[in-house]
Formats: sequence, C-alpha cells, structure tokens
Amino acid sequence: MRLLLAEDDPDLSLRLKRYLGKQGFAVDAVHNGVDAEFNGRETPYDAIVLDLGLPQRPGLEVLANWRKAEVKTPVLILTARDSWQEKVQGLQQGADDYLTKPFQEEELLARLQALIRRNTGTVGKALTVDGWVLDEETQSVSRDEQRWELTGIEFRLLRYCMLHPGRILSKTQLTEHVYEQDADKDSNVIEVYIKRLREKLGKDIITTRRGQGYVFGKPV
Amino acid sequence: MTSLRTRLGLGLVSSLAVMIGLLWLTVGISVRILMEEQLASRLAHDAESLLGGMNIDDSGHASLDARRIQGIYQQPFSGHYFQVDVEGEVLRSRSLWDKVLPTPRVELGETRMDFITGPQEQELLLWTRGFRKHDRFVQIAVAEELGAMLAGMRDFRLRLAAWSLALLCMLLLIQRYIVIRSLRSVSAAADDVVRLEQGDISALDERVPDEVRPLVTAINKLLQRQRQRLLRSREALGNLAHGIKTPLTVLQQLASEKIPADDEEALAQLQRYSRQINEQLDKSLRSARLAGDSLGANHFDLRTDLPPLVDTLNRLHRGKSIEFRQHTGQAGTLPMEQQDGMELLGNLLDNAWKWARSTVQLTIERGPACRILVEDDGPGIDAAGLQLLAQRGMRQDENIPGHGIGLSIVKSMVEELGGTLQFQASQSLGGLQVCITLGST
Repeated sequence: MRLLLAEDDPDLSLRLKRYLGKQGFAVDAVHNGVDAEFNGRETPYDAIVLDLGLPQRPGLEVLANWRKAEVKTPVLILTARDSWQEKVQGLQQGADDYLTKPFQEEELLARLQALIRRNTGTVGKALTVDGWVLDEETQSVSRDEQRWELTGIEFRLLRYCMLHPGRILSKTQLTEHVYEQDADKDSNVIEVYIKRLREKLGKDIITTRRGQGYVFGKPV
Repeated sequence: MTSLRTRLGLGLVSSLAVMIGLLWLTVGISVRILMEEQLASRLAHDAESLLGGMNIDDSGHASLDARRIQGIYQQPFSGHYFQVDVEGEVLRSRSLWDKVLPTPRVELGETRMDFITGPQEQELLLWTRGFRKHDRFVQIAVAEELGAMLAGMRDFRLRLAAWSLALLCMLLLIQRYIVIRSLRSVSAAADDVVRLEQGDISALDERVPDEVRPLVTAINKLLQRQRQRLLRSREALGNLAHGIKTPLTVLQQLASEKIPADDEEALAQLQRYSRQINEQLDKSLRSARLAGDSLGANHFDLRTDLPPLVDTLNRLHRGKSIEFRQHTGQAGTLPMEQQDGMELLGNLLDNAWKWARSTVQLTIERGPACRILVEDDGPGIDAAGLQLLAQRGMRQDENIPGHGIGLSIVKSMVEELGGTLQFQASQSLGGLQVCITLGST
C-alpha cells in the first residue's frame, strides 16, 4: 500500500511516516501543495492524506485539481479547521473522509484502512480471501488455525495481493505500491519476495503468468 | 414633520396657493383699472363732443345742439348722463329727467373722476372737467353707469378664480406625481434595506438619484468592509487553529509514546490538559467564527447550501442509508449567515444521522420567527435524559462516534444567536426532536 502524505509540519510528517511505515505502508511525504499535486497526479497511490493548510497551494485547490485531472485516489483530509463549512467544502471537492487535528495515530490508521478497503470494494473488518485471513495489527496471516508472521515487505506485498485477488498484477505495479519513492526500486526484488511468500505459505498461493505478472487466488 | 413627501407637498401647496392668489388679485385689479381708463376716455370723448356742440349766444345764454347729443342721453335713466354748468347756468341731459348729479367743483383744466350714486341708486362713474369757452368757465360732468361693468368684473373674477383653482389643483396633481416619482427611488432604497435585513440581497441598488447615492454607496462600502472583515477574521481563526492544533497533535502523540508506561498519572495529566486546550480553543474559535446577525451577509440558502451538506453527511456516515425528508415549504433561506447556518444545521443533522435508524426529517417554518425542527427515528431519550440534554447539550451516552460534539455546539450557537432550543420526543418518527426558534425577524 503506497501512501502520499501531504503535511507541512516536518515533525508531524516524520512521525506519521514512521508510524504508517511500521503499519506496512510505503509513505511518500511532501510538505507543500505544489509537490503534493504533482506527486498525487503522477504516482498511482492507494490513498492520500492531505493537510488543508499547505503552503504554496491550498489543500482544497490541490484536491480540486486532482479531481479535475481524473485522479481517483481516495483522499483523507487532515485539518485543524473543524467547521462544517470546511467539511462540506472538502467533501464536495472530492475528499473521501475528514479527520480533524489533534488526532491519535490509531484513528488515522483506522480511517485509512477503511478508506482503502472501501475503495477496493472489500467489506468487513479483517481482510479475508480464499480462507486466508490477514491480521493488519500483528502483520501476520492465518489459515485453519495456523499462523505465519510476515516481514514488513512480505506483509505489504501480500496485503496488496489480497486486496486485488484474482487479478493480474505486474511487477511494476507491485513495486509501485509496495515501495516508497526514494526506495531502491529493483523489480527483481519483487520476485524474491514472491518466492519467500510461496515458501512460507505454499506454492499455489500466488501463480505466475509468464510475461504478464502474478495472480493471487483464483483468477476472476 | 419627518416625511419628505409631506414636507415637499406642503411647501408646494402653500407656495402655489400664494402665487395663484397674487395672480388672481393682480389680474383682477389690472382689468378693473383698464376698464375704468377705457370708460374715462369714452366719457372724455363725449364731453369733448358736448363742448363742441355747445353754443353761447351774445346774451350769455348757453344751449346744446340736440343733433350732436347721442340718443342714449335722451332716454330717461339710461345710465348715461351729463350735466353742464356754465357759470351757474346748468344744462342736463334728458336722461336725468329731473334729477341732479352731485357734481364736485373743479378748477379750469382740472379733471376728476368720482364714484357716485346717481338716480335710481345707479352706481355711476362721474367724469368732471373745467373748460373755457367764449371766455366763459364751463364745467362738464359726464357719467356712465358702472353696474354692467361691475357685474362683468364680478363674473370675470369668479371665472378667473375658478380657473385658478382648477390650475392649482392640476399643478398640485402634477407636483404630487413628480414628487412620488422622484421619491420612488428613495422608497426603493428603503425597501432594499428591508430585503437586506432579511438577507435576500447583499448590497443596495446604486441606481438611485444623486442626492441619495452617497448614502447608498456609503452603506454598500460599509457592508463590503464588514464582509471582508468577517472573511479575514475567519481566515485568521483558521490559521490560528492550524498553528496550534498541529503542534498539539505532535505533543499528544509524543506523550503517549515517550512517557514511560508506568507513569500513568503524567500521561493522564498531559492528555487531560491537551484536551482542555483543544476544547477551549474550539469553543473560542467557534464563537469568534459566528457572524451573528451581521447585515448584508449571505444567508444560508436552503436550495444551494443544504444539498451539499446532506451529501456530505451521507458520505461521512457511509455505513448508513438514511432517508432524508425535507419540509422546508416556502422558506428559501435561514435567517442567519451562510457559514453560521452550515455549522448549526451541520451539527444538528450530524447528530440526527448519528442516532437515526433510517430516517431524518428537517422541517423549517418561516413566519415572523423561524422554527427549525430536526427529527430522527433513533432510540430517543427518556425524560431524565432530555433534562440533562437541555442542561448540558449532551447525551448521557456519547459513545457513538460522530464528526462533532454535536448538540452542545448547537446549544451554545443558539444562545449566541439569541434563539431558544427545545428537546422532546418526535411525534412522527419516535426518536429525538430538536426544535430551534430564532427570534422574530
């Protein structure tokens, strides 16, 4: 899951990036409206956390520009302003949820997870596909009373696959959604992690489509 | 006398009445003088011809040539008379019959005009002059009855008065029309002010006469400045919130992370204080953001502002499928500034959405006062709960997560807007009914 975090306060931004990173998100942090708009437009994020009080370009304008450019990524607005006028404005500009400061990191995480699930059409609290149950809190996967612990990248990869079951996922696509911007992106590394997941969870969990990519679960 | 129309009307009536009265007098007097002069010149002419037709023989006896006397002097009491006095010898016209004209004495060459009462109570104009003929002093008095002329004059004066009166009335009507027409733009501006108060318009129409325009422009400028000030102060409040709440977020997160787990007291204190800071800040910001009943502000428009709010509520409460019933009738706006209305209805409806099972109903009645009713079909509240709600604006059980602290905000807002707030069970839906009444506008 790759996130764009547009927050101008460097401390808060760093904390959130660290926290969300621990929760298995690849986070790109930007600190002004212009960068936010560019990144949001150019990278296929799974969700965007947008502060409305951004320097250089107001958050609402950034949001409106994304929606005008057909960027459909779900956006969670983060703001210190809690008037209904601003809530209505934000949601009418195309935001999907609204969180006012101060907030707990756990609250942000819960909202983000709900947002992403809603966007991928997954319902229910735990992510369950073909009997596999992904526990996002402990970053582990279980099936028939058996549990496997996952490393950070393994968790990210498996979660992305489980959110898009039965669909062909290219190596590039997986790289984009698992790693943040500055990470050393070698698509061969994905192969290594796919291999590790297969060793851990069984050979059939992810099938390879030659020249196309990978498919989790039964093809749709 | 505060009405411009009355003042202008009275001024015009009196000045026109004086002017037309003077006109009537002048015309009457002039016509009279003119007629008298004409009469006098005719009498003088008759006197000349009498003098011409007069003979004085050697014995000093005077006589008149009957052929040179006009017939009108021969008929008795015809109203035309003469009386010639030649040094004591008096010749009178036949028309005088045996009456004598009371003539004054005049010097040679002197002319006199007198109004006298002649035979048969006739009003006469008497013209008398002294001549010299054949070395004798001759005094000729000629008189003509004025009755016809005076009657004519009276007639004329009456007609003139009637015409003057008609003219006065016509002028007054025209003036009234002009005054009303000119003042119409002033009363239009006054109507504008009423509409401004009701929030139907946000500025006065500046297409008014030059005399009123400075006033209208000044009001508009004032309104504009007030709107800008509201905008600026709201912007500043937003920045203040941003400037304080972001650090507060970091502080809270730092606290829960860095304070050792065994120091529960420190953590609890920090959380309590930061919550207090936040609540106090929210309260003050919300109160400062209120525009109140500022003139010329855009009012909350039920047609354009309500649908996005309802849409927002549906998005924020995505798990629920709420049927929203709206009974707003003829009401087009709420009697409050747009953002105030958004805040009030936002909190009210959010609370209803939070508790409702399937239906939320909004009723707005606008008469002299504005009544806003929000009902839901949620679990409702018992009597004790209602009382608590009325006191604190909060439910006993506030554990359902919402997007605002709801009714306590509504309560303080209604207080600041000078309205009243009532809670009771909804008759139609069974849940809670919140009723807000905002003072008569």
